[in-house]
Amino acid sequence: MAKVYRSAVIAAPADTVWAYVRDFNALPKWHPAIAASEIEGGLPADRVGCVRRFTLKSDGGLLREQLLALSDVERTYTYNILVSPMPVANYVATMRFTPITRGNLTFAEWRAEFDVTEGPEIDTVLDIGDNVFVAGFAALNSHFGSK
Amino acid sequence: MTKVFVSAVIDAPIGAVWAKMRDFNGLPDWHPRFSRSHIEGGLRSDTIGCIRNFDIAGGAGTIRERLLTLSDVDYTMTYTILDAPLPVENYVATLKLYPITVGDQTLGTWSAEFKVTRGREEDVVDAVANGTFGKAFEVMNELLGRKR
Repeated sequence: MAKVYRSAVIAAPADTVWAYVRDFNALPKWHPAIAASEIEGGLPADRVGCVRRFTLKSDGGLLREQLLALSDVERTYTYNILVSPMPVANYVATMRFTPITRGNLTFAEWRAEFDVTEGPEIDTVLDIGDNVFVAGFAALNSHFGSK
Repeated sequence: MTKVFVSAVIDAPIGAVWAKMRDFNGLPDWHPRFSRSHIEGGLRSDTIGCIRNFDIAGGAGTIRERLLTLSDVDYTMTYTILDAPLPVENYVATLKLYPITVGDQTLGTWSAEFKVTRGREEDVVDAVANGTFGKAFEVMNELLGRKR
């Protein structure tokens, strides 16, 4: 089992960041790698069990991910991958947003566990950690007007 | 039940911050609000169940606290107050550190739940949140933070 963990400070209050990212259908709005997204079957994006279907900007690759947990108390959501062009299986990931009371900022965490089905494990681990997770944090900081 | 939660960025790697904060007997070594500490019964300070007996600086009294959890995996310490010159009961606090991988910094979080037994709740919350928890993270930044 491979594990990836990335975390960063986001220059906005936790409630503000959470309001922006909690929409399970909103990846194209905030993540630079995602082109378009829809929730299958017309379900609301906060219905646990719903499936988001989205495509990558780079090569049009299709992903389907299912929402497993969503908490407005912990500001966290968990999802797994059903279909992906990445060489992974048993992929489960969680995002969490914690208030930083000193300075009124946000501590963002993004973690995943999965099996790598093809190629060197470290390549996929770094690809997800840096090109998906850290790139997402950087985009949030750009949106909220910091470095 | 009153809840307090304080969190702050410490501009140092988590290993350095935890090494300083994990010693249950080490509070007076770095926290300006406290002086003199010993572990009762000669136990080691990483023994779960041990009791630290320490003074508030300036002769403001003695506090006894019992260590309930210490985790080097989760960078977590939980303890409860046995005796203190504070109007609280059922006081349980947790210090937990998180790595901030982007920039190799540390998020310090310190939370407590307790019941205020007399006086103004705001005063007790201020003493705990700012005087103890927030001050601790400020000191960690002064001691370990990278100089800009």
